[in-house]
Amino acid sequence: MSFEPKIVAFLCNWCTYAGADLAGTSRYEYPPNVRTVRVMCSSRINPMFIVNALLEGADGVLVSGCHPGECHYVSGNYLARRRLVLFRRFLEHLGIHPDRFRMSWVSASEGAKWAEVVKEVTEGVRALGPNEIKREQEWMQQSS
Amino acid sequence: MDATKQLREAAEEILAREDVACLIGYEQGSYGFRVQPCILTDPGQTDRLIISPLCVNNLTNYLTLEQIGPLTKEAIGEQKIAIVVKGCDSRAITVLNAENGFSRDRLVIIGVSSPGVVDISKIEARFPNAVSPAEVTVKENNFVISCEGETSSIPQNELLASKCQRCKNAMPTVYDVLIGEEQPAKEDVFEDVAAAEAQNIEEKAAKWQEEFSRCIRCYACRNACPLCYCSDCMLDRLRPQFIRRSVTAVDNSLFHITRAFHLAGRCIECGECERVCPQSIPLMDLNRKLAKDVKELFDYEAGIDPEAKPLFGTFKTEDSDEGIL
Repeated sequence: MSFEPKIVAFLCNWCTYAGADLAGTSRYEYPPNVRTVRVMCSSRINPMFIVNALLEGADGVLVSGCHPGECHYVSGNYLARRRLVLFRRFLEHLGIHPDRFRMSWVSASEGAKWAEVVKEVTEGVRALGPNEIKREQEWMQQSS
Repeated sequence: MDATKQLREAAEEILAREDVACLIGYEQGSYGFRVQPCILTDPGQTDRLIISPLCVNNLTNYLTLEQIGPLTKEAIGEQKIAIVVKGCDSRAITVLNAENGFSRDRLVIIGVSSPGVVDISKIEARFPNAVSPAEVTVKENNFVISCEGETSSIPQNELLASKCQRCKNAMPTVYDVLIGEEQPAKEDVFEDVAAAEAQNIEEKAAKWQEEFSRCIRCYACRNACPLCYCSDCMLDRLRPQFIRRSVTAVDNSLFHITRAFHLAGRCIECGECERVCPQSIPLMDLNRKLAKDVKELFDYEAGIDPEAKPLFGTFKTEDSDEGIL
């Protein structure tokens, strides 16, 4: 069976979640590999969520929120950007490929962009293959 | 006048003040090259104090504890605490003050312009038979070591702790009294991080999985860190359990990534985490990488500017958009 990546997407309630909804109602086609988690703001994302998702079996993680300057809470996405841009570099340093963790800005009117983002992220992760650093793998090694 | 004598005189004066509850400093340990922290409450005790390249601990860790030596928080009340700090330690005070962890106004800071501290494991390997208390002083780029009745001289860079070899700010950034000569700050170029970054991603993954797999989760790195002071630490939380406790490479990775990232833009590079690690995991490599990126991306250095706000509590609209779709 060919490899189908599992991608966990954390979407902000006010922009990207609505954008993803719009992509659906507008009948845009995009890969079914993302599992969506709705959060109130992209700054709700604790970097630990991302690592936990990767270690629990996700092959990739996507965090998406409002465009800079358009945050429902005025500055949440700016704070998230500081943390997560730094965090992405840090993951790379530890040997987790930066394509496994992506961020995007998708507004509520950008259904088409959402479809494009999901395509790009999915293809990026597909090219990398399954995530090797995860708990499941470890159990399999221990039991064999 | 030597530094220890200078320190004792300053300490006596400070401890005699009515608004000072205690002084946190260093005293000779019980054997060999060991120096231990001490908490003094009486001006008559100041002859116990020493300052030398053996004073490795970062004493600012005591500030956020519930009890400082014999004194509880209630006993100290609104009184001030005097503390001996080296260059790196003083930056912890700046960070603590900026994030309302501990107010700088409640401190009397005795800053030591540090010539660098020795790596205790290196010096103990050189002098395995040192049992009775030994002394180390600095003389013209050499450590002069008096141990078991013999005196020897070893070039400084052979025994310096690695954090001191790359240190650019040996001068305290905040102090009330200064011991020693002023030293200019230098520009940090992060040579050590650049070497680690040059590896490819598979090598990095293999390296850190191996390092993390050795961790025994003693949490000494957290306890020794002056900036890990949350009274409700998520490592101890069971409901919800943020971080699983099994000692495996994967669960250890989560712990170490979280620990290091909690110090992003806060780590003042005192190297205590690495020094206390019983498994010799190079934790400072993680902190240094974050420090380098924080400087590159946000032009921010922890603890240098006393007026600076915490890194993640602020933002600029022109911050990097690196890798964002």
